[in-house]
Amino acid sequence: QELFLKMNSVGEGCTELKREYDQCFNRWFAEKFLKGDRSGDPCTEMFKKYQSCVQKAIKEKDIPIDGVEFMGPNKEKPGS
Amino acid sequence: MKIWTSEHIFNHPWETVTKAAMQKYPNPMNPSVFGVDVLDRTVDQQGRLHSKRLLSTEWGLPSIVKSIIGNARTCTYVQEHSVVDPKEKTLELKSTNITFTNMVSVDERLIYKPHPEEPEKTVLTQEAIISVKGVSLSSYLEGLMANTISTNAGKGREAMEWVIRRLNAEIEELAITARGSIRTPMAAAVTEK
Repeated sequence: QELFLKMNSVGEGCTELKREYDQCFNRWFAEKFLKGDRSGDPCTEMFKKYQSCVQKAIKEKDIPIDGVEFMGPNKEKPGS
Repeated sequence: MKIWTSEHIFNHPWETVTKAAMQKYPNPMNPSVFGVDVLDRTVDQQGRLHSKRLLSTEWGLPSIVKSIIGNARTCTYVQEHSVVDPKEKTLELKSTNITFTNMVSVDERLIYKPHPEEPEKTVLTQEAIISVKGVSLSSYLEGLMANTISTNAGKGREAMEWVIRRLNAEIEELAITARGSIRTPMAAAVTEK
């Protein structure tokens, strides 16, 4: 059952895929990664599905994702 | 340019705080965040987890204003890069706005580490570098923004405490459910005799 409120994706149609991936990731992160277990990531398939959805939404919404660096040389970005 | 820094101690171990940070949204202190997306995630050669995320926020303008200026203009996007080192026990987050960059630049950096003297506590150091562009009142505006960031940092810490409480409650609930589901077949086995 859902005890935890869940977040949406910026791509409205991607929210289910995002939540499935998040659930997988959060479990792996807490039970494996933080405990030093370097065995494989079980979430790669879910991540791929989620990514193909969200990257499309980002392009459609014209969200300016790029390799923006923290206080990097291209901080003087033209336009918004 | 305005630089704002702060340090804060959480009465929780680093692992708890880190798990909470990865699940920070949604929370009641950040109602304007309407979307959180992972853009990329990898483990590097030193075993550190790198995540690149997109945070989508909405200013919460009244709908009449939004219908005049258009929905796209009311959204702000922030890109965040985080690194979790499970061996060294550090979580570092860097974020920057990727929209309205011609007007303002807000770069934030947060580092969570175990408290050097008290291992059951976590120290958060954070800094923000703010620039307002091409406006003569820029240092005044930057001062205003620094106050907002300071207030928001307080909210951010409250948000972390909220998420930590929820995580602990969830663990507690799962434990109770697990105990219950073991008890029932055992009770049935006893009565079956």
